[in-house]
Amino acid sequence: MNHTIHFTVNGEPFTLSVASHHTLLQVLREQLVLTGVKNGCEAGECGACTVLMNGEPVNSCLVLAPEADGATIVTVEGLAHDSQLDPLQEAFVAAGATQCGFCTPGILINSRALLDRNPDPTDAEIRAALVGNLCRCTGYIRIIDAVKAAAHAQREVQP
Amino acid sequence: MNQSSIGRSLPRNDAPAKVTGRALYPGDIGRPGMLHMATLFAGRPHARIVGLDTAAAGAAAGVVAVLTAADVPVNEYGLQIKDQPVLVGPVSGKAGADVVRFVGDQVALVIAETEAQARAALRLIRVEWEDLPLVLAPEQAMQPGATQLHPHCADNIAYSYRIRKGDLNAGFGAADVVVEGVYRTPVQEHAYLQPEAGVAYIDEAGRITVEVAGQWTHADRKAIAHALDLPVEQVRVIYPAIGGAFGGREDMSVQITLALAAWRLAQRGVRRPVKTVWSREESIIGHGKRHAMTIHTRWGARRDGRLTAAEVRVVADGGAYMYTSDKVLGNTTLTCTGPYEIPHVAVDACAVYTNNVPGAAFRGFGGPQGHFAAESQMDRLAEALGMDPVELRLRNVLTDEKLLTTGTPIPGGVGLTETIIAAATAAGWTQDVAGHWQRPQTEWNADDADQTDGYDQTDNHNNHDHQRHQRSIASSIRRGIGFAAGFKNVGFSFGYQENSYARVELRGESEIEEATVYIAGADVGQGHHTVMAQAAAEALGIPFERVRMVTSDTARMGDAGSASASRLTYMAGNAVRGAAEAALARWRNEDRPATAEHVFLAPKTTRLDHDGQGLPNFAYGYVAQACQVAVDMDTGEVHVERFISADDVGKALNPQQVTGQIEGAVVQALGYALMEDWRTRDGQVLTNRLSTYLIPTVLDIPARLDPVIVEVPDPNGPWGARGMAEMPYLPAAAAVCAAVYDATRVRFTEFPLTSERVWRGLHEPTG
Repeated sequence: MNHTIHFTVNGEPFTLSVASHHTLLQVLREQLVLTGVKNGCEAGECGACTVLMNGEPVNSCLVLAPEADGATIVTVEGLAHDSQLDPLQEAFVAAGATQCGFCTPGILINSRALLDRNPDPTDAEIRAALVGNLCRCTGYIRIIDAVKAAAHAQREVQP
Repeated sequence: MNQSSIGRSLPRNDAPAKVTGRALYPGDIGRPGMLHMATLFAGRPHARIVGLDTAAAGAAAGVVAVLTAADVPVNEYGLQIKDQPVLVGPVSGKAGADVVRFVGDQVALVIAETEAQARAALRLIRVEWEDLPLVLAPEQAMQPGATQLHPHCADNIAYSYRIRKGDLNAGFGAADVVVEGVYRTPVQEHAYLQPEAGVAYIDEAGRITVEVAGQWTHADRKAIAHALDLPVEQVRVIYPAIGGAFGGREDMSVQITLALAAWRLAQRGVRRPVKTVWSREESIIGHGKRHAMTIHTRWGARRDGRLTAAEVRVVADGGAYMYTSDKVLGNTTLTCTGPYEIPHVAVDACAVYTNNVPGAAFRGFGGPQGHFAAESQMDRLAEALGMDPVELRLRNVLTDEKLLTTGTPIPGGVGLTETIIAAATAAGWTQDVAGHWQRPQTEWNADDADQTDGYDQTDNHNNHDHQRHQRSIASSIRRGIGFAAGFKNVGFSFGYQENSYARVELRGESEIEEATVYIAGADVGQGHHTVMAQAAAEALGIPFERVRMVTSDTARMGDAGSASASRLTYMAGNAVRGAAEAALARWRNEDRPATAEHVFLAPKTTRLDHDGQGLPNFAYGYVAQACQVAVDMDTGEVHVERFISADDVGKALNPQQVTGQIEGAVVQALGYALMEDWRTRDGQVLTNRLSTYLIPTVLDIPARLDPVIVEVPDPNGPWGARGMAEMPYLPAAAAVCAAVYDATRVRFTEFPLTSERVWRGLHEPTG
């Protein structure tokens, strides 16, 4: 069975016919070709598919597509504005926080949600926010550093 | 003058695409008219296929083709020996290809219009099985009369090594103390975040083209061409972005099956691309693992700490097929006596076929297992001798003049002493008036760690044992520190002529406006393509920003060799430097564009003789580590509060990336040491998800992790660089177990140190 959903993705409105058993992850990757949203497990275990849904980070593999009706979605492709990178993206490049990069989109999205609700997080708050995102390359150290650096840069711009 | 491009933490050239989601990994690639392939895995660890009926699957909705063993021209592959069928089935040109030997053997491929249709049709394939006896324990597999898994070897022994140096009896006769241990190391899953995937199609030149994530484009091409019985020129392999590898992508996963699908479809007049994406469960059963090993070992030392003898017996679970077991075992053979000079040595090592998931390459490549035994033995010896563990190591450590167990000196620039001193110093070790090293007398300030025990960190007793005793009264937390060191080869070993190809093209008029580097080496996440751009910029004397990289496409460049054995910076770095220098000479000769290629050949090595004597390697990297743990005696939980890793990298071409490799390797190794708990039952994998096979999260890392870069130049490395990405992995499990022993006086010879294992060790007396 199919559903028609209306939702906003990265600022753009879409009306789509989606299979009722498909996940938001499938819709984003396959129908909208937003392949920055990664598929690492399809079971909510790795966090690579994290997107913002109405401002909250969710594993898009655990959201059924019809549930996204009316929602506002932000994926990694929507973090930069007018080719201006998000401070988090700039900080991840500068800090060497991305190695293979497969976990990076999900971690950026989760970090964005963190900084939106807490512009000056402690180390412990950053760790707590990212516990659902697995990374096998970096050992997480540089990721924590990058989130701190981005928070600092963001506060400089918007004190 | 331009600023030097090496020794600088330049940002990675792939990072902008990776942080914006633009980087395409194999599963992200779409092509017009693309079909989807699903794979039928055996799901049984040992069985003969006596019947295979694919008619219903072939007739199912959307299905375009079903392929089986009968469709594979040369139904075999394997990096070292071709002992694995591409597809297992009753009708095959290859003898023995009707038997599955582990759950991840592949049986059939369904190609359909959609992935859902392909997967649905898999369930319609009827397989008639004849189950065969399971061979699961290597020690039993080696016994005469055990079920034989392969016709080409006796007693299931896939490969063996033997080292005889000096006179073992004389060595033990000269020893004042002898320590003996049996060490067991676990299987480890790579758990790279990107599951296996790829797309195959016929390119504009008629080549069967596979875009996939691997570690060696040209080896993948060769394996595909062999199985399809085609010349290599008719096969093309391209790597897009690769979502981690760690050795787990050295062997074939989807490479041959995708190529087979595109090729058979084209023969049937269907020229459409074919894509496949494995699920996480398929990834976990479908690729090889770090070898489980059992190491029996006995070492002797004189009262002054000098090692006199070591006797080692290694049994490695090779699993169903060879993969790289022979080479992994070679590294265990070389590292199981540690980075020390020992005059009298006997090592016997073998890798054994079983019906388990194959043992394969994994960061450290046999070194972590060897080092766990060797460094645990050193910790025992230090205690038996009443000697500081750093002091004991420095009295035995390999230097430029000393001989390996293979009877040859280690190639020059041995930085072991420097790394041991660097790690010890960073950890608070000091030298007394006689120059002897002494462990820190106070614990590290663990102010980032959980302080649940209420212990006053300023309490400054001089006697460590007394301090620990005082602590145990106050709470259930006990702290301890451990130390370990290690070494490993860079590049391929045992007589293989190491080589690496690069081409450099210079464009511009009066000055070089753009340099293009053609290099096939795989950037698996380690930053290879960035470092090669730095190498080219340095050799050419131009800014890093003017270097353009063309990478990982067998149709466009020669063979750079594998992204393994910590070899690419050394090997491909020399190749890029050579090509850049040659191109620059032509540029100065007014060539426009100026192009040159270069094949770097590493110094020669030799096979080992009957007694294991020879020159196995041309370069090495070195590491020393110290850690502090907190053990909760009530729950068995082990927290690593601080970890120091000093690594001799020769020359850090990009210090930020070097640091990232150290941090990543240490955390991966701490997962191995503490939490990654691979479970099987009757050959079935029980931990086939990331919710049952637990890898470190951000909450599982040490409160403090301090990488220390040591630079003792390698005489043949580019700008003195040596390989480094595996070395920080090597001794970590031994360092953790030494720290846990220091805290609890219980020595663990088996890991991971899960709470359950530690609690049992603390509370259940051993027999």
